[in-house]
Amino acid sequence: QPRRSIRPMPRPRAKPGPRYKTAPLTSFDAHPTLLLLLSVLPPRPPPPPPTHPHRAGLSPLSRLPHGLRRRFRRLLRQRPVKTINANSVSFSAPRKDNVSFRLQPVPQRFSVRCAAKKETVEKVCDIVKSQLALADDTVVSGSSTFADLGADSLDTVEIVMGLEEAFGISVEESSAQTIATVEDAANLIDSLVAN
Amino acid sequence: MRHHHLLLRCRAMPLLPLPPRTLRVSGGLVHHRLIRCHGMPIPRRTPGVSGGRLFASLPLPPPLQSPREVHVWYLCPDELNNQSQLNMYEELLSPSEREYADSMKATMLRKDVVLSRALLRTTLSRYTGCKIDPRSFEFKKNKFGKPEVLWPLDDSTAEQPLHFNISHTTSLIACGIAINAHIGIDVEEKKRNTTKNILSLARRYFTPSEVDSLAEISDSDAQRKEFLKLWTLKEAYVKALGMGFSGAPFSTFSIMLETSKGIRISKTSNASRPGYDHLSENWLFTLAELNSSHYMSVCIEDSSRSQGPEDSPAPVGLKVWKTVPFVEDTLVSGTEAVKLIA
Repeated sequence: QPRRSIRPMPRPRAKPGPRYKTAPLTSFDAHPTLLLLLSVLPPRPPPPPPTHPHRAGLSPLSRLPHGLRRRFRRLLRQRPVKTINANSVSFSAPRKDNVSFRLQPVPQRFSVRCAAKKETVEKVCDIVKSQLALADDTVVSGSSTFADLGADSLDTVEIVMGLEEAFGISVEESSAQTIATVEDAANLIDSLVAN
Repeated sequence: MRHHHLLLRCRAMPLLPLPPRTLRVSGGLVHHRLIRCHGMPIPRRTPGVSGGRLFASLPLPPPLQSPREVHVWYLCPDELNNQSQLNMYEELLSPSEREYADSMKATMLRKDVVLSRALLRTTLSRYTGCKIDPRSFEFKKNKFGKPEVLWPLDDSTAEQPLHFNISHTTSLIACGIAINAHIGIDVEEKKRNTTKNILSLARRYFTPSEVDSLAEISDSDAQRKEFLKLWTLKEAYVKALGMGFSGAPFSTFSIMLETSKGIRISKTSNASRPGYDHLSENWLFTLAELNSSHYMSVCIEDSSRSQGPEDSPAPVGLKVWKTVPFVEDTLVSGTEAVKLIA
C-alpha cells in the first residue's frame, strides 16, 4: 500500500534538470518493460536535489517525480506484476502500446559534419587538378588528401587562393590548416558561403 | 628445422646476424619463432650487405660543434632507382611509416615517403655515433604536428638532444640536424613556376614591406626567384617554430634579406594582435643555392645571450652532404654546389 500523506501533495512545476532518476534494479519487482526502459535510459544524470522528506517512501517508485510515478502506476495496473528473478530476465520486445512515451535516441556528443554539396566538391576537385597539373585520368575525389596528390605548401596556398577567388570567400590561416582532404575544403567553403 | 637461440628483435639491441629463414610449414600455418614473438615480418635478406650490421657501415659525420652549427644531408630521389636499395631503406621504417607509405597511391610519392624516412633515420643514427639502430628511433608529434625524436629515458644523447627537420621537393629531400636548437629547413626548386601571379600571391600572404620590395624588381624571372627565396625563408621559420602555418601566418613577420647583419626577421604590426606572442625574433637564418637548381633555407634558434646591438650574430655554420645512405656520402659545402646567398 503506498503511503499516503495527510497534506495534499504540492504539484511540482516542470523544472529543469533530471526528469527522472535511475532506480537501482537489484531489489525491484518490475514489469519487464520497465526494466527495458531503465536499461536504455541515458547515463546517470548529475546528483539529484535532496528528496522531500515524506517522499522517501518504502518503494523506490515513490521516489520518482510525480508525473513519472503516475505513468508507471498506469503501466503497472495494466498487467499483473510478477516476481522476476533478476538473474534470468527474459522479455519479449516491447510493443508500441507498452511504452507510453517515446524513447528518443541518445544525441551524439560529437558533431558530425554533413557532407558537402556535390557541386562544391566537384568544383574543388577541378581547381585542385588544374593547380597541380594532374593528368586527366587522375582520380580526385572528396576523400583525396592534398598530401596524396603531391601538393606541397606552396601548392596548398595557391589552391586556397584559387578557392577564395572562385567562391568569393576569405579563408583564415587557422581554418586552412585544418583542411586535409578535398571534402574538408568543400565543407569549409560551404560554411563560409552560407554565412 | 635448425634451432637457434631465441633472438629477441629487441629494438635497443644491435643487430646480430640474421637468422636463417627456414620456415617450418605445417597445415598451411607458418611457424617461426620470430613471427610469433613480435608479430614483425621477417625482413628480406638484404643483398649486397653481409651480416646484419647494416647501420655500422654509415660513416660517422664530424660532430656538431655548437648550437649554431647545422648539418644538412640531402638525397635526390631521381637518382635512386635500384629496387634492392629501396627495399633496404624500406626495412628501416617502422610499421606505421610503412603503412603510411602504402597508403600513397602514386608510386613516386611512395618512394619519396620511404626515402625521406630512411634518410631521417640513417642521419639520426649517424649523429648518435651509430649506437642507435636506425630502426629503433621513435617519434612523437607536438600538438601542432611537428615531429620530434622520442628519446629513450636512459639515453645519454637526451642531454644534448638532436633536433631535426625535413623538407622535400620532387627532386630533392633534405634533412637538417642541429644540436640543442630548434631547426626548420625548406627547399624549393629554383625553376618552380607559380600558377598565380607573384605579386598577387605576395599581396595575399606576405607583408606590405615585402610586397614593395618585390614590386621594385622589374624582371619577372628575378622577381619570381626573389619570391621563392622569401618563401623558403618564411617556411623555414614557421617549421622551426613548430606551430603550424596558422601559428605564424606569413603576414605577421617580415624577412629582410639585405641587411648588414645578414637575414633578419621582424614582426609586423599585425603580430601585436593577441595570439602571436610566441613569435620571436631571435632566430638565425641562412640561405643557399644548391647545385644551382634549388634554394635552401635553414632557420635555427639563436640561444646566445651575448648579442648586443653592435654585435652581428656569428653566421650559421652550415655543412651540407649529398648522401646515398649506406652507399656514399659527399661533402658538398665549400664547393660550387653550395653557394651561400646570405
